[in-house]
Amino acid sequence: MAGFEEVNHYFRRAARIMDLSSHVERMLITPFREVKVDVSISMDSGELGTFIGYRVQHDRSRGPMKGGLRYHPTLDMDEALGLASLMTWKTAIVNLPYGGAKGGIAVDPSKISERELERLTRRFVEQIHDIIGPQTDIPAPDMGTNAQVMAWIMDEYSKIHGFSPAVVTGKPVDLFGSKGREEATGRGVVFAMEEFLKDVGGGEIKGKRCAIQGFGNVGSWTARFLHEAGARIVAVSDQQGGIRNPEGLDIPKLLEHARHAKTVVGFPGVDSISNAELLLLDVDVVIPAALGGVLTEKNAKDVRARYLVEAANAPTTPEADEILTRRGIQILPDVYANAGGVTVSYFEWTQNIQQFTWEEAKIAAELKRYMSEAYATLSRVARERRVPLRTAAFIVAIGRVGRATTLRGL
Amino acid sequence: MPIDNLVQTVCTVLCKTLTPSQAEEILAATRPRSVPAESVVFREGEEGSGLFLLLKGSVEVVKQGPNGLSQQLATVDAPSVLGEMSLVSERRHSATVRATTDAEFRVLGREDFLRLLERDNLAAHKLIGAIAEVLARRLRRMNDMAMELLGRSDTPPVEEMARFKQKLFSEWSF
Repeated sequence: MAGFEEVNHYFRRAARIMDLSSHVERMLITPFREVKVDVSISMDSGELGTFIGYRVQHDRSRGPMKGGLRYHPTLDMDEALGLASLMTWKTAIVNLPYGGAKGGIAVDPSKISERELERLTRRFVEQIHDIIGPQTDIPAPDMGTNAQVMAWIMDEYSKIHGFSPAVVTGKPVDLFGSKGREEATGRGVVFAMEEFLKDVGGGEIKGKRCAIQGFGNVGSWTARFLHEAGARIVAVSDQQGGIRNPEGLDIPKLLEHARHAKTVVGFPGVDSISNAELLLLDVDVVIPAALGGVLTEKNAKDVRARYLVEAANAPTTPEADEILTRRGIQILPDVYANAGGVTVSYFEWTQNIQQFTWEEAKIAAELKRYMSEAYATLSRVARERRVPLRTAAFIVAIGRVGRATTLRGL
Repeated sequence: MPIDNLVQTVCTVLCKTLTPSQAEEILAATRPRSVPAESVVFREGEEGSGLFLLLKGSVEVVKQGPNGLSQQLATVDAPSVLGEMSLVSERRHSATVRATTDAEFRVLGREDFLRLLERDNLAAHKLIGAIAEVLARRLRRMNDMAMELLGRSDTPPVEEMARFKQKLFSEWSF
């Protein structure tokens, strides 16, 4: 998925424009610390279960490192490293006082029991507790982990280091979590899209015909906020398949349907459509919000939307990126578009440190401010340097990380 | 070319310490050669054919790079000297020389030169000394270049960081 080399493709493109020397480039790319640990637990059956856990801390020049914990059977060091470096650039782009990290356990959480999942998580914390912490490295949910897993991490870490809610974010709202954290990425996508459309001459969200691939956390919240902003969602899809209604789907009813059915398929009064077809619909905005690598050199030439909003991580391969850019399709890049999640994680951390809670309206207002300010910088750099927004994003990130690094001194 | 001019050319481009009569002895061992424009004088990899005194015209020195593409190393105008290394060692020509205009040479073949040396010809010995001096100068320049290249990989990261920092606060500040 997002291996280290793929992430570095865009990094290098920006580095070339900034004329970085190979030494400086290597220094910025090389991770601060890579940790690989044995996570053995006794399974419910009484057998020994052995798993491998990872934590890669990429850069800490701008603050404590931040990034998700992923429980997925194919997770390995390369993927963790790629995603960790992506977090360095992402937090720098939205100007959060963080560095980048990522990690997790190579395990399929759907194949183990809840109690095994808890033991596994607590054992993992035992193994990495001395390298994480509220001022060092703050994990968060990612694929295969959720608020409950974060609660276990906070509890286990606090047993060793004393009460420490700020050691993880994405906790349950009833246990030092933040209001608005669950919907943060989707809300951020819509704030980002609002700035983007206004800037590139697309006007406002109201009336825009949108297709969303993916109806998990990010896709469904994006659909809801777009609907509230007056957009017409004409198609959505998930792993089971997709649905389409050229007049616009009834999003509140669809959300209700999906909550019970666990899929968008079977929603009444619509045509069905495949995931592949959805990306090529004649709409204003296409929004991949699930898997990476869905737009490739094979289908990029057939995309008919005028705007591509990358709510998922790395939905567009570098080859597709080139084709789409050449065809004049405007791309809102993932490193910025889906940064709402980590931004509200930052708000959760600040609330934990302040021991004070913010109302949801304040979360939304602050998120909007961070997304708008970040977009203004990206847009200015893109214009001044005549580069696409994605390259501008990496230039901004390298600039901020570079300034912090050199000011601290070597 | 009148013999007086030839003698003067030998003394200036080949060896300053030769007397006019010694220059004539060297000249006597050479044979004239004319090369029309666009023709090859000698080719890279060919057996060394001796020292070429360029009296008239211009030539270019071309060397084949590792990728197979030819690269022009220099253009040389008369009066000048080429192929002097082949006098003192039996190496093949290290580059190709092609006439860019009609060119006239005096060629001192290696065999003829060795014969002069065997006869304890002072002019030939002086010529060896002059060539040695040229080679010593080139070696010194190569040493300086090598030192510069070696030194470069030592210091740069620190300097590069300073340059990077400066750039981030000027050209790349936003």
